[in-house]
Amino acid sequence: MGVHAAMSDTPPEVSISPARKMFLSGASVIWLVPLLALIAALGVAWKSYNDLGPLIVIEFEKGTGIKAKETELKYRDITVGTVEKVGFTSGLGRVTATVRVDKDVAPYIDASATFWIVQPEVSAQGITGLTTVLSGVYIEGSWDEQIGAPSDRFQGATEAPLIHTNRNGLEIAFRTTTNGYLTDNAPILYRGIEVGRVGRAKIDPRGGFAIVEALIFEEHRILVNDSTRFWDASGFTVSIGPAGAEIDFSSLATLVGGGITFDTFVSGGGRVADGTIFEIFPDEETARNSVFNASEVEPLKVSVIFDDNISGLVVGAPIELSGLNIGKVDTLAGIVDNDQFGDSRVRLNVIMSIQPARLGLPGDVTAENALRFLQDRVATGLRARLASGSLLTGGLKIELVNVDDVQPTTMRLMSNGLPMMPTTQSDVSDAAATVEGVFNRINSLPIEELLNSAISFMNAAQSLVMDEDLRETPQDLRQLLAEITGLVGSDDVKNIPVALNATLSRVEALVADLEEQQLAAKLVAALDTVAASAETVSASVAGAPDLIEDLRAVAQKAGALNVEDLMAEATALVDTAETLIASDAVTGLPVAMKEAVDQVNTTLAELRAAGTINTINETLASARTAAANAASSSEALPQITARLNQVLEDAAAATANINTAVAGVPELVERIQAVAAKAESLEVNELISELTGLTRSADALINAEDFNALPRALKRALDEVNFTLQALREGGTVENVNRTLASARTAADTVALTAQDLPQMVARLNRLFAQAGRTIEGYDKGEELSRSAQAALRDIQKAADALASLAKAIERNPNSLLLGR
Amino acid sequence: MVGMARAGKSEKFVNAREMGVVACRRCTKAWPLGVATCGRCGHTLVSRDHLSLHRVWAFWVLGVACYIPANIFPMLNTRTLFLNEESTIISGAVELAQYGNLGIALIILFASVVIPLSKFWAVAFLAVSVRQQRVISTRFRQVLYEVVEYIGRWSMIDIFVVAILSALVQLKTLASISPGLASIFFALSVIFTMLSAQAFDPRMIWDVQGKDGGPRRDE
Repeated sequence: MGVHAAMSDTPPEVSISPARKMFLSGASVIWLVPLLALIAALGVAWKSYNDLGPLIVIEFEKGTGIKAKETELKYRDITVGTVEKVGFTSGLGRVTATVRVDKDVAPYIDASATFWIVQPEVSAQGITGLTTVLSGVYIEGSWDEQIGAPSDRFQGATEAPLIHTNRNGLEIAFRTTTNGYLTDNAPILYRGIEVGRVGRAKIDPRGGFAIVEALIFEEHRILVNDSTRFWDASGFTVSIGPAGAEIDFSSLATLVGGGITFDTFVSGGGRVADGTIFEIFPDEETARNSVFNASEVEPLKVSVIFDDNISGLVVGAPIELSGLNIGKVDTLAGIVDNDQFGDSRVRLNVIMSIQPARLGLPGDVTAENALRFLQDRVATGLRARLASGSLLTGGLKIELVNVDDVQPTTMRLMSNGLPMMPTTQSDVSDAAATVEGVFNRINSLPIEELLNSAISFMNAAQSLVMDEDLRETPQDLRQLLAEITGLVGSDDVKNIPVALNATLSRVEALVADLEEQQLAAKLVAALDTVAASAETVSASVAGAPDLIEDLRAVAQKAGALNVEDLMAEATALVDTAETLIASDAVTGLPVAMKEAVDQVNTTLAELRAAGTINTINETLASARTAAANAASSSEALPQITARLNQVLEDAAAATANINTAVAGVPELVERIQAVAAKAESLEVNELISELTGLTRSADALINAEDFNALPRALKRALDEVNFTLQALREGGTVENVNRTLASARTAADTVALTAQDLPQMVARLNRLFAQAGRTIEGYDKGEELSRSAQAALRDIQKAADALASLAKAIERNPNSLLLGR
Repeated sequence: MVGMARAGKSEKFVNAREMGVVACRRCTKAWPLGVATCGRCGHTLVSRDHLSLHRVWAFWVLGVACYIPANIFPMLNTRTLFLNEESTIISGAVELAQYGNLGIALIILFASVVIPLSKFWAVAFLAVSVRQQRVISTRFRQVLYEVVEYIGRWSMIDIFVVAILSALVQLKTLASISPGLASIFFALSVIFTMLSAQAFDPRMIWDVQGKDGGPRRDE
C-alpha cells in the first residue's frame, strides 16, 4: 500500500519506465492465479501424456463391429485400452485396429499376446458373449504374466483361443488317427460334468494324424493322470434287447457337437505335465482294453521307396520283422524325384508306422531309440521287401529281413524329413502261381456231381415221405383198433351177463314163491316159469353162436387183413428209408403198447381179484346142491315129476344150448388168442425190431412233418386201445358179470334154503302121494318117471360139468375171455 | 460509481482526486486523500486502483483459456440403451438445428458462443482503451462496461441447462444425461470473465477524459 501511495502521489508525472516497474512489481500477486492455472494445465497435460500408453496395431481378418473410440480392449474383463483408429493394411488385405493401451499394462503385451474379437455366439455348447449384444463387441486380449520384448503389431485370432488368461488348467493334447471324433470346442465330460474343453483340431504337419489341444480346467486337474484314457462320447447308441429299445447319449451338447469323456481304469497313475499327448479311443471298451495292452508310444515313421509293382499293398498292411508284426503301412504315395533317383520314373513311397513298443527295445521306448535300433540293423543288412501277405487275396505286406552280401548303406533322410529304409528284392513272384494252383485244384473238385447226388437223394426222401400210403398207415391202424374197441364194447357181449342175471333173478323169485306157497301147484307154476325162463335162456343163448361167429369173423378179418399189409408197408418203409425216422415218439411206441398191455393185465387182475371165478364156482356148487336137493325131493312127487321132467328136458335143452354156446367160446377164445399171438409174436416184435434197427441206422435225419405224425398216430391208436380198455373196466362189464353171478349164487342159496323145507313138503307130499297111491294103485309109472328124472339130473350134471370146465378154462386163462391172450 | 459523478457545469472537469478527496466505494462517504480506511464503514479507501488492469488481464486470460477446452470437450453425455452420445456445445447446437429446432439452436449458440466471445472482446477493449487514447467516447465505454457486467451472470444459462437436464434425465440404464468435462470449463470461463469485468475500475475511463478527453469532447 505504501508503494501505491507513493505512486499515487504523483499521477501526472507518470512516465513509462516507472509504470513498467510498477507493472512488474504489481504483477507478482495477481498473475499467480493464471500462472497456477497454467501450471495446473501443464501438469494435467503432462500427466495425461505421461499416462498415455503406447499404440499397438492388431490385424484382423474382419473388423466385425469394431468402432474407433468405442471398442475396448479387455483383459480379464477389465478395459485396458481403446481402439483409436480402424483401418486397413496396405492392399486392403486385413483390417487393422489401432489400440491405445494402458501404460501399466503395455509392457506385458509382448509376443505371447493373442487378441480376438468377442461377439455374441450361439452354439451347441451354449451362448457366449451375450453382454456384447448391448455393449457392442470388444477385443479380448490374452498374454502371459511375464514382461517380454515389446511389440506393437499383432495378428488377431479369428476366434477365442482355447487357453487364455481367463481359463487356466491342465493343457494337454489329443491325437487321433480315426475320423470324426474331434469337434471344435467340444466339451470334455467326466461323469457327465464338463471339466474341460477341446480346441480346434489340426492336422499333423506330416499328415499322419489329427491333433487337438485341450484344456482340463484347473479345479478338475486332479482327475487326469497318465493312466487316464479318453474316448469319444459323441453321437448316440441304439440297442435293442429283451428290455426293449434303448437310446443312449451323454448329453444334448455331445449329441450335436460331439464330446470326449474319460476315466482312469487303474490306480496309481503318475502326474501329468502340460503338453502330454493322449490318444482318443473310439469307445469305452477300446479305451479300457488299451490300459492293459502294452503302452503305445508315438510311432516311428519310416519311408520306403519301392520300384516294384505294388498292387496289393494297402494302407494298414502289416509290417513284419522276423514274423513279428511291428507296425503297419501308414500312407502310400507316388514319388518322382529326379535328383535322388536319377530318372523321372514314378516310384512308390510307402510310409511305415512302426510301433516302438513292439520292438522290445531295452531302456526307454521312444521313437528315437527305435530309429537308432533300425539304423544299426540296416548297417548290418536289414532291408525292406514286399512279401505275400495272403495267398488267397493276393494282399502284400512289408517284411524287414536280413540280406547277406549287400552293399552297406545307411538310412538317409528324405526330403519329407523321414528316414528312408533301403529295399531288396521282393518275394511275391511265386505267390501268384501257388494261388493259381490252389484255385485250379478247388476248381476241379466234383462239386456239381456231389450236389446233384445230394439233390436227387433229397428228392427221393421227400417223395417217400409224401407217399399217401405211408400217411394213411396210422389211420388204418387206428381204425382197426377202434373196431376192436367197438366189438368189445358192443351190446351183445354186454347183454350176456345181463340176461343171465335176469334169469337167475327169476329163479330166485321162483324159489321164493316156492318157499312161500309150499304148494305143488305153485311149484308146477314155478317150474313152468323155469321152463319158460329156460327157454328164454335158451333163446338168448341161441344168439351167442351168432355172436361168436361175428367175433370169429372179426378175428379172422383182423388176423387175415390189415395187420399184415400194415406190417408189409411198415417193413417196406423201414427198408426203403433207412436214414429216416428217428423220433422220440417212435421210441415211445413200445412204451405205449406196454402201457396198454399193463392196462389189460390190470383189468384182468382186477377181474380175478374180484373173485368172479370163485363166485361162479360157488354158484355152480350151489346150483348143484340145489339140484341134488331137488332130486331127492322129487322122488316124492311123481305127478309133478312128469311136469318137472318136461321142465328139465327144457332145461336140458337149454343147457345143451348153453353147452353148445359155451363150446363155441373156447374156439372164439382161441381165435382171438391166435390173432393176439400173431400180433404179439410176429408183427409187433418185428416192427419193433425193425424200428430199432431203423433208429440205429438213421444217421441222417429228415425231419418231415408226416413222419413225425406217423408215430404220433400210432401212439394215439394205442392210447385209444388203452382208453377202450379203461372204458371197459369203468363201464362195469366185469361188475355186471360179477353181479350176475352173485345173483345166481343167491338164487342157488335160496334154492338150497327152499330145499331144506322140501323134506317137510315131501312128507306132506308123501302123505298126499300115499293117499294118491291108495287111490290110484295100479298105475305103475313111477319107475319110468324115476328114470326120466335121473336122466334129467344127469343132463343137469353134465351142464354143471360144462360150466365147471368153462370156469376152469376161464380160471386157467382169464385174459383170453377179454383179450384172447 | 463515485467516479461517474461529474460536474457538468464547466468544460474543465475537476474530479474528486484533483479536489483532494476520495470517496468510500462502499458507503460513499468522502474522505481526504491519504486516509487509509473509511472511518464509517471500515472499507479500504483507494482513489485509483492501478492494479485493476492487471487483475482484468489475468482473469481475462484465464477465462479465454478455459473457453477453449469448453468448446473442445463434450458438454453433455447422453447415454441411452444402445447409444452413448457425447456432444460439444457447437455440435449440440448443430444437431438441434438439423433436427429442426432452429430457435433453440440459435439461443444456445447466442448464449454459449456469441455472448462469451463478445464479453472477451468488450473487456479487452475496455482495458486496452484505458491505456491507449481512442476516439471511442467515454460514455459508450461506460455503457459497454455496464452491459458486460450485467450480462455476465446470464452466461451461466448453459450451465443451468446442463445441470437441470442431468438432474431430470436419470432413468438408470434406459437413458441418462450427465455433464461433460466442457461444462466445468465453461463455468470456469464464465466465472473468470465475470471476475475480469469486475476487476476493471470504470473510474479510469473518466480519468482519461479528465486529462485531455474533455476539451476534445467539447470540440
